[in-house]
Amino acid sequence: MRRVLKDEYDVLVVGAGPGGSMASYYASKHGAKTLLVEKSQEIGEPVRCAEAVPKLEEFHITPSEEFVRSYIKGGYLIAPNGKKIVVRGGKTEGYVVERKIFDKYLAIRSASLGTKIAVKSRVVDLYPCEDGFKVKVVHLGEEYTVKTKIVIAADGVESSVGEMAGLKCKKNPMEVCSCAEYEMTGVKLLDKHMMEFYFGDLSPKGYAWIFPKGDTANVGLGVIDRGKKAIEYLNEFLEHPILEGRLKDATPVEFKCGGVPVGGPIERTVDDNIMVVGDAAGQVSPLTGGGIYLAMSCGSIAGEVAAKAVKRGDYSMETLMEYERRWRERFYNTLITELKYKRILQRLGERELNIIAEVMEDNLEEIDVKEILFKVIKRAPSLLKYFKDVVA
Amino acid sequence: MRVNYERCGYCGACVGVCKDMALELIENRIVIYEERCRRCKGCIIVCPLKALEE
Repeated sequence: MRRVLKDEYDVLVVGAGPGGSMASYYASKHGAKTLLVEKSQEIGEPVRCAEAVPKLEEFHITPSEEFVRSYIKGGYLIAPNGKKIVVRGGKTEGYVVERKIFDKYLAIRSASLGTKIAVKSRVVDLYPCEDGFKVKVVHLGEEYTVKTKIVIAADGVESSVGEMAGLKCKKNPMEVCSCAEYEMTGVKLLDKHMMEFYFGDLSPKGYAWIFPKGDTANVGLGVIDRGKKAIEYLNEFLEHPILEGRLKDATPVEFKCGGVPVGGPIERTVDDNIMVVGDAAGQVSPLTGGGIYLAMSCGSIAGEVAAKAVKRGDYSMETLMEYERRWRERFYNTLITELKYKRILQRLGERELNIIAEVMEDNLEEIDVKEILFKVIKRAPSLLKYFKDVVA
Repeated sequence: MRVNYERCGYCGACVGVCKDMALELIENRIVIYEERCRRCKGCIIVCPLKALEE
């Protein structure tokens, strides 16, 4: 470990979540000498999320039973009045994984291509030097200065590393969803392959969820609220009549909490010798709060671009902008559209949500927002005021 | 700003909104650098557990 921190690198990735492990994987794969730095003493810990991940085949990762706990075919969207809408197939398919094992698996996969890893190693500062950054890392109370050509900041919601380098990564508190979750056993699920999403006053400006996870289920919620706390909403949700007693015999085996940046991507994710990836970059679906797919995709691009820059011997912002261009090309429009929908959804009360649920088909393959809105406005013209940005 | 360590779930949400870089999460302990804090209270808002107080 100490030896690893005394060396020099082409690429130094901060944070061994899915974004950081994918970034380091592709950096190593394309020949860059890469160090992955994780501040926790255990990769994958603490878990801060509901553990749903997309189909992994796209990333050439086999969904091994080592970490997959449930196969997900779709989800129920549940309105305040209890009406259930079933969405199946397409993007709703995926897995609920054991993140502690999944994250470690991805780090091991990266290490197998030559990535060196330092755990219990915290980045406390970095400053530019000719040709790169000097990164100060504290490990077991001792400070090391590690020289690198490129830094990839994948330090998650905390978003400190990019900020240290002068990029604006910190989020607005009203754009961060506060989440609390119990992983419980003994939950009576609607269907062991379907996720459940609950909307309305039980979780203002967010939603509550029950995700099947093998012998357990993740029961949690995310809210944006200046007054009442996520944990208080969660304790009420556990006894909410909409669940019809399905948690009566359930008991927790783990508690998790976290903040999810749902305000869209940060202004700029690249500067000379640095790229920002994942939650730190605001690469999170504003509508679902899902971040793993985006972090893995954008991390892969960042790793590739970093290795290419190393080969070229040019780590300037202009060269690294390829990362920003490529991830924006793939995801920016979707993120901005979702942001718009989210803002509408957040303004709707239970009455409006019930009307929307009422006009929606019970079974959907895909959510066609425009079609739904057309029906909603036909049924309740007074709701037009909420949707004028989208319909126009 | 004070952390109630009995309540804190060390999720780092507060760190992510602290533009003054006055908060850091070290393993399972939130550390406050009082001299940097400008009392914006963003951290209090995002904390899921009411672990931060003035």
